[in-house]
Amino acid sequence: MKSILFCCLALISLSAFATDDPKVLIRELNKKFAVVQDYTAKVQMDFAIPGVKMNHMSGQVYFRKPDRFRMKAKGIFFLPKQNPLQQIGSMLLDTSAYTSIISGYETIAGRHCAIVNIIPTKNNAELILGKCWIDVANPLIWKTQITTRNNGTIETQNQYGSDAKYTLPEKMEIRLELKKIKVSRMIAGDINKKSKPKTAGEEPLQTGKISLQFSDYRINSHFPESDLQASQE
Amino acid sequence: MSLFVATLQNEFVKTIRRPRSYIGFGIITFICLMLQAAFYQDGKEILSTVTAQIDSIFSVQGNILNGNLICFIVLQTLIVQMPLLVAFVTGDTLSGETASGTIRFLLTRPASRTQILLAKWLAGLFYTLMLLLVLGIFALFVSRWIFGSGDLMSLNSEGLTIIRADDINWRWMGAFGIAFLSLSVVATYATLLSCLMDNSITPIVTVMATIIVFTIIGLFDIPSFDVLKPFLFTTHMIAWRSLFEDPVPYSDILFSCGVLVFHLLAFLGLAIYFFNRKDISN
Repeated sequence: MKSILFCCLALISLSAFATDDPKVLIRELNKKFAVVQDYTAKVQMDFAIPGVKMNHMSGQVYFRKPDRFRMKAKGIFFLPKQNPLQQIGSMLLDTSAYTSIISGYETIAGRHCAIVNIIPTKNNAELILGKCWIDVANPLIWKTQITTRNNGTIETQNQYGSDAKYTLPEKMEIRLELKKIKVSRMIAGDINKKSKPKTAGEEPLQTGKISLQFSDYRINSHFPESDLQASQE
Repeated sequence: MSLFVATLQNEFVKTIRRPRSYIGFGIITFICLMLQAAFYQDGKEILSTVTAQIDSIFSVQGNILNGNLICFIVLQTLIVQMPLLVAFVTGDTLSGETASGTIRFLLTRPASRTQILLAKWLAGLFYTLMLLLVLGIFALFVSRWIFGSGDLMSLNSEGLTIIRADDINWRWMGAFGIAFLSLSVVATYATLLSCLMDNSITPIVTVMATIIVFTIIGLFDIPSFDVLKPFLFTTHMIAWRSLFEDPVPYSDILFSCGVLVFHLLAFLGLAIYFFNRKDISN
């Protein structure tokens, strides 16, 4: 009798990770992230943006719920206007703001992931469509594709380390489509360089990549509010 | 040797005592302060016209409007004007003496014509160095004091290059070194013209005209001009900009420096040749 009961319980708990219920996956994700009130981490940034030559740099990330975020580094760096670090967690937390459906399954980094589509319930929401590739066995977001009204589509691919239990990635690669950044020869004052002949039609989009490598996460450290205030470095 | 040193001292004193020598310092100081005030007031607005494409996609973090960027802009602006200031003083060194008749008195001194010319040329280079020093103080150090230091967002036709603040001082030293070499070519060219002409104005105007014409040739993407461009010293005068690229195109910079040194030696050689044959009897 006991063994039958145990089997039933096991089946019930397995069904909690039902691969065809996106709400269950998101609930599990939110449960993990609910523990995190704030975090800081060291970050190493690498940039591969068409038309921009920029060396890697390091800095510090600060996050406080629900969506306060700051990346602090000494020097100039670029972050996508639509910051996935800030956006994804808070987007999934408000479950009343969207409808979720599983549109398919895909293997990402050897993990069987459900492709969960996030469709906002409000027509005027900034988010148009969010797609999250969530590991079915251990709910974690391995890939996202977020399309917003003002900032186009942005993709992220995550890798996890020891802080996976808080859904915090060890590495995040942000990809976005953009036209190569150009400065006119006259504005740049680069009079010796020859102008390249203009190609017919629209210039093709290129992929820009920003890689973020996180380390030394400090979760719920209650860092001072001043760390979230932007200042000119 | 002591004769040459005495002649050199004499030329330094002459350069320092001439009121026109100070016009260049005044103009550089004024332009630097004017640009700094303009950028202090409207810098973000001015920059937004350049960074509009980036701003539409990215949130730019950090202080773009810093002393290094202001120095880059000032140097880029003044590198076209500074040759005129250099020519204003160096184009008059010998022709001024010829026009006023003091050249005969000068040539009665025991120093040879070559020594006199070299002394005048070195005094011209000293003046050029002083101009650049003032430019460096105002454009770099005063700008850093006003706007703070930081990474340099260097603009070029290929896009943007961000040079980190801790990797920039050697580039500035190199840039000012190349700027000095470039202006030395102008000073030597002005000295050569000063040997050939008998009044003060013509060499100065000729140097200005040469620089304007060469710069215009450099501006246009016309195939027939492309053949000429590598031979014009003005093409290589902005080689300092290449130090703010990543990776630094050392071979291009060395080639440009080589062309500038060739021009300098050619102009100096011709100046010595013509001055030694100059007829001062009229």
